[in-house]
Amino acid sequence: MKWGKWDRRRVLSAVLGLFSFSALTAGLRVRRASAEWLRPPGALPPGDFEAACIRCFRCAEVCPPQCIRFDAWLPPAEADTPFVVPADRACTLCMACTEVCPTGALGRIERQPDLIALVVKMGHPELSKDRCLAWNGKGNCHLCHDVCPYRNQAVTLSGDRPRPEFHPSLCVGCGLCEEACPVDDQAIRIRPLSEKTKAPS
Amino acid sequence: MLLVPLLHLIQNVADSAGVTTSPWTGWVRGLPSLGRPAASGAPWSVGLYGLELLDPLATLGLLAARSFSWSWLLGAVPAVVLVVFLGRYFCGWICPYALVVGASNAARSLLAKLGVRTYDLKVPPATAYGVLLILLLATAVTGQQVASLFYPPAVIGRALGKVILFGSAGAGAVFIGALFLFDTFVSRAGFCRSFCPGGAVFRLLSIPSPVKVVRHAPACTNCGACDVVCNFAQSPMTDRLDQDCERCGKCVAVCPTDALGLVLIGGGKKSPGART
Ligand code: SF4
Ligand code: SF4
Ligand code: SF4
Ligand code: SF4
Ligand code: SF4
Repeated sequence: MKWGKWDRRRVLSAVLGLFSFSALTAGLRVRRASAEWLRPPGALPPGDFEAACIRCFRCAEVCPPQCIRFDAWLPPAEADTPFVVPADRACTLCMACTEVCPTGALGRIERQPDLIALVVKMGHPELSKDRCLAWNGKGNCHLCHDVCPYRNQAVTLSGDRPRPEFHPSLCVGCGLCEEACPVDDQAIRIRPLSEKTKAPS
Repeated sequence: MLLVPLLHLIQNVADSAGVTTSPWTGWVRGLPSLGRPAASGAPWSVGLYGLELLDPLATLGLLAARSFSWSWLLGAVPAVVLVVFLGRYFCGWICPYALVVGASNAARSLLAKLGVRTYDLKVPPATAYGVLLILLLATAVTGQQVASLFYPPAVIGRALGKVILFGSAGAGAVFIGALFLFDTFVSRAGFCRSFCPGGAVFRLLSIPSPVKVVRHAPACTNCGACDVVCNFAQSPMTDRLDQDCERCGKCVAVCPTDALGLVLIGGGKKSPGART
């Protein structure tokens, strides 16, 4: 093939082809990531949740920080169902989504901090002390502690140079700490609950 | 005659009313909230001051995948009662996809004027029962609410919400676009007539409906105006299935000789149509 054949049309089709390829693979990337996404508060356990959620979008519609995402490019079980991606935007624990869910996929929860601390469990915290600026000595950061609605319980600061410690049993998994963490690859991550990490009820 | 554009307008307003409670009506949430968001949802599921409405198809899906709950049954009651009385009115007056069908019918007549060939495949309407059955079986077997991925009111509701909140509609728009092309080039109003799972539910429920288009054949001059105007590609005078009539009344309004009328069987005339 001679270079002369690369007229405008060919170049455009090539660009278009590359574009669609990246769009497609972006879909694949998303597919892998969803294993790390969280369900909104009050969600039924995996399996029961997919059976009850009619994918009506009402939880996302009323969410004040717009942290509930619906992604259609996912396997059928998860396509267009609600997910919170805290690194993007975290849940502020307003419980509005649980008030409008028509099916009980999100169980109704009163906006009482003490009650929320007891019943909400969106995920569990995982701190990488290698990446955390307070632990690896690159900074005096304690943002995660400052934004946590349950600070001094779910996150505590200790030591003469304050460093955060996370206490999974007291953390509701809202992800506000992950959203606030200034490290590119967040040092604190809220992981979805899997069978083995599920807190005893 | 004058009634046709008016009916179009009213129905389009009614269609958007079906999604009025979606995010674009922030004003709804400006109303006193009585402790919870005042209004939310698309036609698939609506909440308004604590009143909860569910599409009967959503109720069926929930019953298939989960155990029984009164609230799901109660949520569907208003829709069921209305459809039993008014027939498939939902399809013409509430379903947001009716706008797409209207656009596709308009595109068809435009294409016809331009001399572009389109097809009108007549798929047996009972096919929709098959679609409904397959989706409910899939829901029961997989334990996932799959009908919501293929039912236009649910898809459009989500797509609109995503456009408004996040600026992109995603795969839902692709699906609706594909249906538009199918309706435009392959089968006129084909999806609603022959494939829509919710339409199948409404078809069944509308059997006893006492509100019907009646014919007064001697007055008909065979002008064909009603055949053109019917959103559901029916021939209101000669070949019409009441179960597939969305009670839009456009054929009644367009008929120049009053050969068609929309009546309440056992009652007086409900809408006598355009008087000349
Ligand atoms: S609790 Fe509030 S902020 Fe959190 S996901 Fe639900 S609606 Fe959004
Ligand atoms: S409100 Fe409930 S049923 Fe509707 S999409 Fe959200 S979780 Fe699913
Ligand atoms: S530690 Fe993080 S996820 Fe847990 S409650 Fe606090 S801010 Fe939320
Ligand atoms: S916000 Fe991130 S870097 Fe800062 S202390 Fe918390 S985990 Fe460490
Ligand atoms: S038959 Fe008449 S009333 Fe029924 S859908 Fe067609 S135009 Fe509307």
